[in-house]
Amino acid sequence: MIALPVSACAAGAGPDVEEAAGRFFAAVAAGQGAAACALLTDAAAASLPEPCATSILDAGLRGGPAEEVAVWGSEAQVRLARDTVFLHRGPGGWRVRGAGCRPDGERPYDCEVSG
Amino acid sequence: MIRRNGLSLFFLVIFVLALAGQSIAGLGAYNDDQLGSGGDPVSWGAYVTSADFAVDVAENWQSEYLQFLLFIMVTVWLVQRGSPESKSDGTGDQVRPGSPEWAKTGGLRTMLFANSLGLVMGAAFVLSWYAQSVAGTAAYNREQLSRLQDPVTWPEYVASPDFWDRTLQNWQSEFLAVLSMVALSIYLRQRESPESKPVGAPHGETGTDV
Repeated sequence: MIALPVSACAAGAGPDVEEAAGRFFAAVAAGQGAAACALLTDAAAASLPEPCATSILDAGLRGGPAEEVAVWGSEAQVRLARDTVFLHRGPGGWRVRGAGCRPDGERPYDCEVSG
Repeated sequence: MIRRNGLSLFFLVIFVLALAGQSIAGLGAYNDDQLGSGGDPVSWGAYVTSADFAVDVAENWQSEYLQFLLFIMVTVWLVQRGSPESKSDGTGDQVRPGSPEWAKTGGLRTMLFANSLGLVMGAAFVLSWYAQSVAGTAAYNREQLSRLQDPVTWPEYVASPDFWDRTLQNWQSEFLAVLSMVALSIYLRQRESPESKPVGAPHGETGTDV
């Protein structure tokens, strides 16, 4: 297992965050749209055209190996080889709130899925 | 016991009540923000152990300790220049029966004791300002991530507008309060308060034992 750089107060949450991001991209790669949508926050899922299970697979999301994890409180960011994703920890655990994200200077990342 | 320590106890009680009130009001504001940004409300216990609560508390603490540190040190310097009764530092010929042991022994211990109030206030200021920077980094980064923006390092945060906005908005209010106290106490009185000159004291009288 590769030790990833983790910056956070709660560095212990890093593996959980990385696992959640990994499950999300594994579901997308396997064509399991419903499973991938279940790993989105409600707002992120609602941001996609109905039905979510189809549109999430059409969003062109490709993750790749995780390279860096940052966890600050209930928010996290995972930099992968081909994507940057943002996650939020709610009562149900870590969920993806932003995926397919590209940096946009000082502005918020421009994401295919966000909410 | 209570009567002899009434002043300290009074401020201890209102401090605890105000801190508790801040935690409740802060929780409400924090949860409003959470719901507004698509997040989930948190419990009181989660909020009071969060970086967001810590930075709000620490930024006020550091400015209060800085205020008293400056007041203690600057008035020492001014009094040394203009107030005859305060030119001695309390060691040497002012040592008398009942003086603290460290005031009598001389050397390093007396030097430390003679500056202990400033040293402790200075240490409290530095520690609480550092705590503000650490908690502020965590709170700022949580907000950054919730807005889909990159987190920053501690040095980047200490150089950021957020850190200095929090710091200077507290400093300016403390400095204004000290200025008001120094200037208004020249002409105004509060009967029986040791923070005021006696009611009958001339306006020009300086160095009153307050």
